[in-house]
Amino acid sequence: MLKLSDYAGISPKPDLQLLARLADKLSPKRLLHINSTKEGGGVAEILNRMVPLLGGLGITVRWEVIRGDQRFFTITKKIHNSLQGLDETFTGDMWDYHFTVNEKNARTLDLDADAVFVHDPQPVPLIKFRKNGLWIWRCHIDVANPVESVWNRVSAYASSYDAAIFSVSKFARQIPLNEFIITPTIDPLSEKNLDMGQNEVCKVAEKYQIPLDKPLLLQVSRFDRFKDPNGVIRAYRMVKKYNDCRLVLAGSSATDDPEGEAVIREVQEFADGDPDIHILLLPAFSDRDINALQRMASVVLQKSLKEGFGLTVTEAMWKGKPVIGGNVGGIPTQIMNGVTGFLVNSEEGAAFRIRQLLNNPDLAARMGENAREYVRNHFLITRQIRDYLFVWYAMLNKSKSVLEL
Amino acid sequence: MNPFVFKQCTNVLKSAQRKAGTIGELLQGITEVSEASIFHHTYQYFLKGHVLEYTNDFAQWVGESLEEHTLAEHLSGVDPYDFSSVELLRETLTAVVRDYLSRFPQPRPALRGNEFSFNESVTIVFPTGIVAHNLAEFLQALRYIDGSSIYYHFYEGRIHGVFGPDDFSQWLKDQAGEPELAGKLRHLDPFMYDIEGLRKLIIHVVEHKVQTDMETL
Repeated sequence: MLKLSDYAGISPKPDLQLLARLADKLSPKRLLHINSTKEGGGVAEILNRMVPLLGGLGITVRWEVIRGDQRFFTITKKIHNSLQGLDETFTGDMWDYHFTVNEKNARTLDLDADAVFVHDPQPVPLIKFRKNGLWIWRCHIDVANPVESVWNRVSAYASSYDAAIFSVSKFARQIPLNEFIITPTIDPLSEKNLDMGQNEVCKVAEKYQIPLDKPLLLQVSRFDRFKDPNGVIRAYRMVKKYNDCRLVLAGSSATDDPEGEAVIREVQEFADGDPDIHILLLPAFSDRDINALQRMASVVLQKSLKEGFGLTVTEAMWKGKPVIGGNVGGIPTQIMNGVTGFLVNSEEGAAFRIRQLLNNPDLAARMGENAREYVRNHFLITRQIRDYLFVWYAMLNKSKSVLEL
Repeated sequence: MNPFVFKQCTNVLKSAQRKAGTIGELLQGITEVSEASIFHHTYQYFLKGHVLEYTNDFAQWVGESLEEHTLAEHLSGVDPYDFSSVELLRETLTAVVRDYLSRFPQPRPALRGNEFSFNESVTIVFPTGIVAHNLAEFLQALRYIDGSSIYYHFYEGRIHGVFGPDDFSQWLKDQAGEPELAGKLRHLDPFMYDIEGLRKLIIHVVEHKVQTDMETL
């Protein structure tokens, strides 16, 4: 089982020191996390790591998952989409059912804790069954431009909490309570981010038949039009006039997503049999392969037109790569333009920055180093755990903006 | 002589629940938000650890998102350390924006998603466990303490409690009996270095003094 000491020498020492101090202050208080799935998705991934780490620090920590049937999850998926601006149809029954399932869960779950972190909109009505303690709503999605009627329903629950946490300032929406901003993070000790030898990197290149004979441009993302894969190909073609290189577009095969399949076909057609364009359909659980692909790249792209936080940017930055990202969603929070990577607003902009990096290895190396350090200081899981305890502690000392430990 | 106790600090952002999409809205925001928010977007700009084009969040947004470089330069020219209170700084910032608006037409609003978000921060200060009893120990500690400790003493040190000099030069003058060295640190331009650059420079200045002392008969 992972321990905090496993992160020594990787995470910044002050983060680990503060984590231990905060845990010491808060111990033996009881912390409860509630979300709607044990597996799959970024929230479960982080909780899987966070819960044992906090337990090792003396906090009594539990993680509960609400149960629901297909109808419930169809409704919560619609709520999720509408909070991100997609128009969905709702009836009063659906909202009643959302509440009823939470009410049933409240009867079976042990909600007795000193601090309760409720993740995302699925379990948000649980606040109505609060027994005691501090309740914090952790909203992982961008709710800046939601369908108003849906937001009104969700915020009616959310406003009963003691505090809310959003991932980026611009994803937040006004609720009359304390709103904190805590960015998502990556785990440097996970398969996707662990250090890896050159041998393994070469083996993965062989496996996917990618010759390492010229500089490699890479974009790892779902095959989705918002990730602009064809725009990346157009940028690559502009670069190719000046610099010989290969392009790898890697994403999951998304067999359950008909639109994903259509996008893959479009991208394959658009690539037009160019032997230097490699379109990889990765199976599920390809974390190690993605890790290797990121390490073999000279330049990594995330040229999204619309994006959530976009943690693939941080993953590549952690491997010391210069990343060129679309100026959307959470990408500008990760890329400090010109320092830890480049932000672009067009295919032409992307092509120009790629050429700049390919022709200036010193700049690419310096930017990659800055990027890795920036991730070390801002986007590792230990910082996120620290911040959760920080918010808990700050809420117990509500009126103060400076706290001495 | 009291020893120098190295501390470090960490912040968590708190939303001030207000956004601005135009210069007019930015002006309104600067006029009305809490002191804590003005403080965060100006004094705590150095938390980013890198030297960027402009020297506070307001200027950075006006320059990057609205592409109003003249106003961005004017806002960047406001040195928060010239003021003895956040309210006086607020007055100057609003005067700069008002003056600009009176002379130039209102520019386009920011694109959706690029609005300015007003924030505040909550800070936790905690000890590093490192203490310096003399100049040599002080020099040695500077080499190894975390960057957040340099940030805390060099930047936040000027504004905790009363507005004044940074913690390093204060200690060098009052406790270590080194007023000349203190003066040199006090004259370092706080806007021109990232934290690591600043560390190197402070070490260079202090090391020169330690060497000179050791060579003096």
